Amino acid sequence: MSGTAHEGRPLDAAELLRLGTEAVERARRAGADHAEAYLESLRSFTVRVNSGAIESLKQSVTRGLGLRVLVGGAQGFVSSTDLAPGSLDELARHVVALARFSTPDQANVFPTPADAGDEPLPDLELVDPALLAWPAERRIEMALALERVALGCDPRIHRTDGASVSTRDGHAALVNSSGLARTSSGTTVSAHVVPLADDGEGKQQTGWYGMVKCRLDELEAPEAIAREAARRAVARIGARQVPTARVPVILSPDIAAAWIGEMLEAFSGEAQLKRTSWLTDRLGETIAARAVTLVDDGRLPRAVGSEPFDGEGLPTRRNVLIERGRFATILYDHYHALRCGARSTGSAVRGYSSTPGIGSHNLYIEAGGESPEAILARVDRGFYMDDQGSYGFNPTTGDYSFQAQGFWIERGAKTFPVEGVTVASNSLEMLRNVAAVGSDLRFLGSVASPTLLISEMTVSGG
Amino acid sequence: MPEARSGLSGLVPRELAAELLELGRAQGAEFAEVYAERAVVSTFTLEERRIRSSEYSRGQGVGVRAIQGEQTGYAYADGFDAGDLREAARVAARIARDRAPGGPPRAFAVVEAPAPFTLAAPVTLTLDPAHKVELLRRADEAARGHDGRIHEVSSGFADSSKSYLVANSDGLWAEDRHFLARLTVTAFATEGEVRQHGYATGGGSVEASYFESQRTPEQIALEAAGVAITLLRAEEPEAGTYPVVVAPGWGGVLVHECFGHGMEGDVIRKRSSIRASQMGRLVAAKGVTIVDSALVPFSRGSFRVDDEGTPAQRTVLVEDGVLVGYLWDLLNARLTGNRPTGNGRRSSYRDYPLCRMTNTFIEAGPHAPADLIASVRRGLYCKNLGGGSVSPADGNFSFQVTEAWRIEDGRLAAPVRNATLTGNGNDAMLKIDGVGNDLLIEGSTGSCGKDGQWKPVGVGQPTVRFTGITVGGTGT
Repeated sequence: MSGTAHEGRPLDAAELLRLGTEAVERARRAGADHAEAYLESLRSFTVRVNSGAIESLKQSVTRGLGLRVLVGGAQGFVSSTDLAPGSLDELARHVVALARFSTPDQANVFPTPADAGDEPLPDLELVDPALLAWPAERRIEMALALERVALGCDPRIHRTDGASVSTRDGHAALVNSSGLARTSSGTTVSAHVVPLADDGEGKQQTGWYGMVKCRLDELEAPEAIAREAARRAVARIGARQVPTARVPVILSPDIAAAWIGEMLEAFSGEAQLKRTSWLTDRLGETIAARAVTLVDDGRLPRAVGSEPFDGEGLPTRRNVLIERGRFATILYDHYHALRCGARSTGSAVRGYSSTPGIGSHNLYIEAGGESPEAILARVDRGFYMDDQGSYGFNPTTGDYSFQAQGFWIERGAKTFPVEGVTVASNSLEMLRNVAAVGSDLRFLGSVASPTLLISEMTVSGG
Repeated sequence: MPEARSGLSGLVPRELAAELLELGRAQGAEFAEVYAERAVVSTFTLEERRIRSSEYSRGQGVGVRAIQGEQTGYAYADGFDAGDLREAARVAARIARDRAPGGPPRAFAVVEAPAPFTLAAPVTLTLDPAHKVELLRRADEAARGHDGRIHEVSSGFADSSKSYLVANSDGLWAEDRHFLARLTVTAFATEGEVRQHGYATGGGSVEASYFESQRTPEQIALEAAGVAITLLRAEEPEAGTYPVVVAPGWGGVLVHECFGHGMEGDVIRKRSSIRASQMGRLVAAKGVTIVDSALVPFSRGSFRVDDEGTPAQRTVLVEDGVLVGYLWDLLNARLTGNRPTGNGRRSSYRDYPLCRMTNTFIEAGPHAPADLIASVRRGLYCKNLGGGSVSPADGNFSFQVTEAWRIEDGRLAAPVRNATLTGNGNDAMLKIDGVGNDLLIEGSTGSCGKDGQWKPVGVGQPTVRFTGITVGGTGT
């Protein structure tokens, strides 16, 4: 089967493996010393609703191939959605010709079965049969329910910026000429809604809430998602600026998760090798408060970021990046591990259209002992940050400076909503200034954190 | 011949397109559209003095869209297999249900629109891999040679070609081909415990000779290295709200984010943008004129026809402070009785079009740029911005400032790091109190994200002074 059928199934894992093996053979015949094929197939469905009706319905079944070769130690890479035999031959010739323009590098080596070890790959329960059988009508009903409930939550919510439900299921296969051959499969479902609350004079406040999960029964009920989104929108009504101040700042779980996602690059072997990050040469040092343990785990059952093997076919694992405040682990893919005389941490991530790079699977700060309410009660005067702009992190310096929304805190309670401010510090200072770690760790995607209290940051306002 | 523009009419001939459009309306949808695309991207990256990877990617396929009222059905196939395309058309058609079939499309008429510019020798058709690698080597040498404190340089060269064909049930037939190229350099500097980086780019929809005659690898590299070295001695900005002067060119990302997004037809039709009720009203300071134009020569945001086949145009959004026009794609124009303005854009055949900006800029004003700085006693000069974002419904925006200078008594006093500009788009354009005469449109590097789709854009402005913007930072 070479074609695409929209309501049909995606190419299955065995078909991907066969195509991958064929691509590797063709690349070898075309002159590659070593070759690696990574293939993905994906079926996706997305419904967006607005004002009580379907706004768009999008469906597809896709597949793609990434073919990486080494010629005299130099790397070339091609990707394509065209998997017909004639196309594979052309790609194989092209990638071999292309590799000759790269610089030969002894560390360009593909992992072998010995590197991967003989441990059997675990079943991480990443495929939900119930999700595969979930009828399209029910997905549409859920999206409509998300919006309907959100609109009914408060008289000041008259409209939404839409609600959406999407599902994906698919397979991946990796084959290399050193003898590694692996496949994996997964499903995901995501749901979100964005209610808008009237704030007078044509101004609106936005609430966003949603999540992505591997399994249908792990998704919160649409009513609960809608109510939380509506609560967030309404709570912002009347938001105003505050004067500039240096105060304790509570990062909500969403905001803390966004921060650790930004910091990830500094923990990579690539940044260490190039000496381009604020954590250069700090392995083994205490870089954070003792309450902070930062983990990247590729093996959490039923988790969106889990995979049995990484983007080069090596087994994933649980890596502790910060252990009770100490910088404990650098993340490596195969290439940077060889360069640094280390072992891969199973941290190569990729899609079919890109070469592997160092990334995370399920990245999170371990839960602490304090409830978020208890943390709030500890703050006499400060800022609770629960929304932010998109740009404000410098990966070289660790400088942190984000546009923020949230609440002003007086005597342990949120007193009024705040907008029009920025919150700034430096990540190293923030890590050292973590004064409390909440007990409320919960995954809405593949990066998560409990509530964090940072003892001092600069809130810029009027 | 117009057909020769994309070379795709052999893969999706008119008879097949007509059949797909009829299938797309088989359940009674009012409108159907077929979009076919073939894109190639070539990328070389240089890190640690080595060409780390040489890459090439190819994406091709066809998307079918059916519209019924405000509802869109969309499906696509990777490739051009006729069976796959028919299946995509059938799936898209289901957005309409149980209505009489719409029948065959009107007879096709080719959209004749003049090209805003043509490239005699675009990079993709002209430069071989060895030449591109040489451009990277030159950039690497120049950045490292600039200053001994530059210890690492990463650079990349990417060029692409995209051919596309659009046909719809109203009988529109349009084809075009775009070429883009970009050279990016990131230079890392270190001195003692202090680390910084600087970033610069060049490119656009440019001739291959651009990298020799207009912006050489050396120029781009020296700019990146210069920023990195400057930032080594930068201070934290003073936190608070005070006058800000933004340099010409990429600074236009401000008007793109905090004004332009609210002018897009989807949020106007749904009235989720505050601008929906402001036609004819003063929305920017007097003297401020804001334009979106897909006709800017050699910019990434330019084209002959948009991704729905509508000819490119220049649309005035704000004239002397007054709101005079919105941006429209086909769907939102239809639903509101407006004329499409050529702003229907999509990131690939895997996405349906959205209403998007092209090249958005503030027109030149009367002031000498030096005077705009000289009149500020205490403020911030933003020489270069990084990324920015806005939440369209509530208007809150923020921008990362990659290189800034403290203004003291009308002079640039000291470099500033880690500044963020924030505010609300609803009134940001009203806070402009000086527009320079040095308009510059930056068409080499911008990409705009909306609903998960990324699209090349240009942004621009002359030097612009704001009365007060909230500046984030840790200084006091």
